[in-house]
Amino acid sequence: MKNTTTLSFILNNKEYESIEVPTCVTLGDLLREEFGLRGTNLSCNQGVCGSCTVIIDGNPIAACHTFAFEIDGKNIRTIEGLECADGSLDPVQESFAELSAFQCGYCTPGMIMLSRALLDQNPNPSEELIKEWISSNICRCTGYAMIIEAVQLAAKKIKESEA
Amino acid sequence: MTKLETLNILTSDTRRRDAYDKVTGRANYTTDVTLPNMLHAKVLRSPMGHARIIKIDSSSARKIKGVYAVLTREDIKKYSESELMPVYGYFIKDQPIVAMDKVLYKGDIVAAVAAESERIANKALATIRVDYEPLLAVTTIDDALASDAPELFEEPPVGIVPAYGEGASGKLRSKKNICYTFNYETGSANAFNKCDHVFEDEFKFSRMHHLHLEPFITVASWSDDNKIDIWTACQNPFPLRKEISRIFKKPENDISVKVSYIGGGFGAKNNCKTEPIAVMLSRIARQPVRFCLTAEEGFYTNTQHAAILKIKTGVMNDGSLVARESEILLDSGAYSDGSPLVAEKAGYRIPGPYHYEHLKTTCHCVMTNTAPAGPFRGFGGTQTTWACESQIDMIAERLGISPYQMRMNNLLDKGQAFVPGESGMDSDIKLGLDLVAKEINYKNPPEEPNRGIGLSIGFKDGGGVNKPATARIKASTNGDIFLQCGTIEMGQGAQTALPNIVAEIMNTPTERVRLMPIDTNHTPFDQGTNASSSIAVMGQAVERAALDLKSKILNFSAEQLNCKTEEIKLDNWTIRKGNETIPIIPMIMGFYGGTGFEFSGEGFHKSPNSHLAPLEAPCVFWEYGWGAADVTVDIETGQIIVNKLVVSGDAGKAINLNVCRGQDEGAAIMGLGQSLFETMIYDGVDLINGDPLSYRVPMARDLPASFISLTQEQGYGPGPFGSKGMGEGGILPVASAIANAVYNAVGVRLTELPMSPDRVKKALLEKRYNYSKQDTSRD
Repeated sequence: MKNTTTLSFILNNKEYESIEVPTCVTLGDLLREEFGLRGTNLSCNQGVCGSCTVIIDGNPIAACHTFAFEIDGKNIRTIEGLECADGSLDPVQESFAELSAFQCGYCTPGMIMLSRALLDQNPNPSEELIKEWISSNICRCTGYAMIIEAVQLAAKKIKESEA
Repeated sequence: MTKLETLNILTSDTRRRDAYDKVTGRANYTTDVTLPNMLHAKVLRSPMGHARIIKIDSSSARKIKGVYAVLTREDIKKYSESELMPVYGYFIKDQPIVAMDKVLYKGDIVAAVAAESERIANKALATIRVDYEPLLAVTTIDDALASDAPELFEEPPVGIVPAYGEGASGKLRSKKNICYTFNYETGSANAFNKCDHVFEDEFKFSRMHHLHLEPFITVASWSDDNKIDIWTACQNPFPLRKEISRIFKKPENDISVKVSYIGGGFGAKNNCKTEPIAVMLSRIARQPVRFCLTAEEGFYTNTQHAAILKIKTGVMNDGSLVARESEILLDSGAYSDGSPLVAEKAGYRIPGPYHYEHLKTTCHCVMTNTAPAGPFRGFGGTQTTWACESQIDMIAERLGISPYQMRMNNLLDKGQAFVPGESGMDSDIKLGLDLVAKEINYKNPPEEPNRGIGLSIGFKDGGGVNKPATARIKASTNGDIFLQCGTIEMGQGAQTALPNIVAEIMNTPTERVRLMPIDTNHTPFDQGTNASSSIAVMGQAVERAALDLKSKILNFSAEQLNCKTEEIKLDNWTIRKGNETIPIIPMIMGFYGGTGFEFSGEGFHKSPNSHLAPLEAPCVFWEYGWGAADVTVDIETGQIIVNKLVVSGDAGKAINLNVCRGQDEGAAIMGLGQSLFETMIYDGVDLINGDPLSYRVPMARDLPASFISLTQEQGYGPGPFGSKGMGEGGILPVASAIANAVYNAVGVRLTELPMSPDRVKKALLEKRYNYSKQDTSRD
């Protein structure tokens, strides 16, 4: 039985074709070990805490709970792909930094990707909607209020940049 | 303490220094460390709660391709005592690297394997056969103290009792299954005789797991020349180095402990956790070994202390507190870990911030066949505040006094000693209480059915006992500043606060100062990042090092300029002399030569010892957490709805307001979880919710409709510019404030955590039943 599979996908705006990966590898391990993308932090490995959240075709997904073979033909964005080409930060990153919406930082890349996906799908989220979305990831440090404020600030920043 | 009229640098820069690393994913944690030829370790855990190991057969595991090291008790026995001392612990050395004669809890480590991958390591572990002789397990405090309970440790404990001062004492194994007892007494027990009332109440405290998102992890390398390099997520690298040196019989200068960012600790990552197994496997394999626990294994590694707290308080009719006796039983789990220290603190903190004539407190560490308990944010203070602040309200109710007034009548004043020989209160506690009472609208509470409000004041001593800290600061020719100190950045903001203190004193932009990576080979000594001590203890060492550095530069410049030091000032790496601005760099090059120079400053801080102080040194600072809750109880379901939660801490002087706010809010939400639902559930020897999916922690949707944190800056702290520690205060008052609010709302008193709907419902039914009984008797 063949233990590898061949995949094509887009990762952080770069196209990859016919990449051979073991069938038993998770997306989290693939990103960290094969692509050196260590910003995706693994924690619970159960798809519960959301530390490893990446964006797949616009949806926030736990990379620890996704097999690598599931990304065939898909578009994946990680925290490393969020910065602009000139090195400037995404408004969501900028907002988290500005408001100190993090402490230990382990959940932060996942929280930022989750927030980015939310704002892509809904540029004007209510506080309730933000709470609902953020409730899919665990932050053990902040108590969440500052994260919610950062998402609100990011929404404002995005709107301003588009105006 | 440096007093500056205005703080220029600190007020102009409010960002955290670790923001860029953390929002871009560039922050490196120990989980990101990889080394050439690195192996991966996994362990076999006991399925039994308490059993004697008859036989371990690991022969098949050793034959599997890709396995480089197998560790069982048989491998440990190959080493002489001069090569290996395979047990560790804080005060008591009772935890083996792998189980020797017995396993003491379900999850205890029996064997370890290092292999090419975790998968191969797990495959090898699955082939290990262990024969156990089951023994009776005791999994609760009551079971462990029963007369027919088995003794968990058959040998006498190997450990120490630290030096205590006036009125305090400690004892190893005071009774069967009690590994440590702390006692404190002051004043005469006769004080009870004059009391108008003596109230005895009992409280139960549940057990949480830290659930830090970065797992327990160590990468260790035992090199061919017998040097040990350790990359680890550890809050106290210097005590760890000492312990590794003792276990492996190696000089401390052969051991280097390196700590990068820590992804949350909350107390769990103190002392040996994953380190001894990683080092031992690397010693056998002679290749680097990465040992990373799963989140599930975290539950079996360290937890908070469940507790039973019995308090007897003597009061006068007017509500004046006179005397208190208390007995606290901490569920310490299977190994002592930090339990003796937690017992010391719980036993000491049980009076709360009130005045008494007489105190007699006892705290026992009870060993049970469950996961080892250790340090957890609040460190005994969470347990004592739960009991103490609940009982204050209960006494107020019995005497017909308002809970607010009861507190106001008894609180210690600023400057008043906690107990004889101790330091004085360093916040105006009444001011803080007024602040949260006002915010919760105490005087005009919402008048709705089943809605009520409650107050609480969390209290603990902060800054640790006998805790030295050193710092070194170098300034290059160009004025780039290197700060070296052992404080770990684990989210609390050390990397922001400590360099910013240096920037303020050196009058230079904050970006010129960097906190350097920690390696015990180069970093000046520090006891550890714990006890909310980063600002109040290390902050003082950093402050002194900065002042030392500054005076060296000013003296040098004054000499070069042929003037008095008092005539010049440091300003962004130039010298200001009157209206003149003189660059420093040419002066340095002129004197020291073209390659330049580095000035360096040293700083040290330790609170002086005093035998008059019960814990042998007066407390560095007092940490308060004022709390107020507004709740509605759904009497149909028993659910408590927190309408508003207010917490407040006193930063003394906030070095960074965002960081202070974050500490208080994060701690408060941890407390909210414990109040309402978060708890480890044991069914006999089985932990039935020991995984992130079934162990529920607070999520954003659990936030109260209104959640307010108020950072006070009262200015009386011992740290730089009047600052104090902030890390733990916010968790302390939440549970009791909510319990007091529930009583206020529906008249039922909950004395056990968490206050889950079933407990609330049961209490409501009991109340109704008691009422109906009273009604019947009247008929």
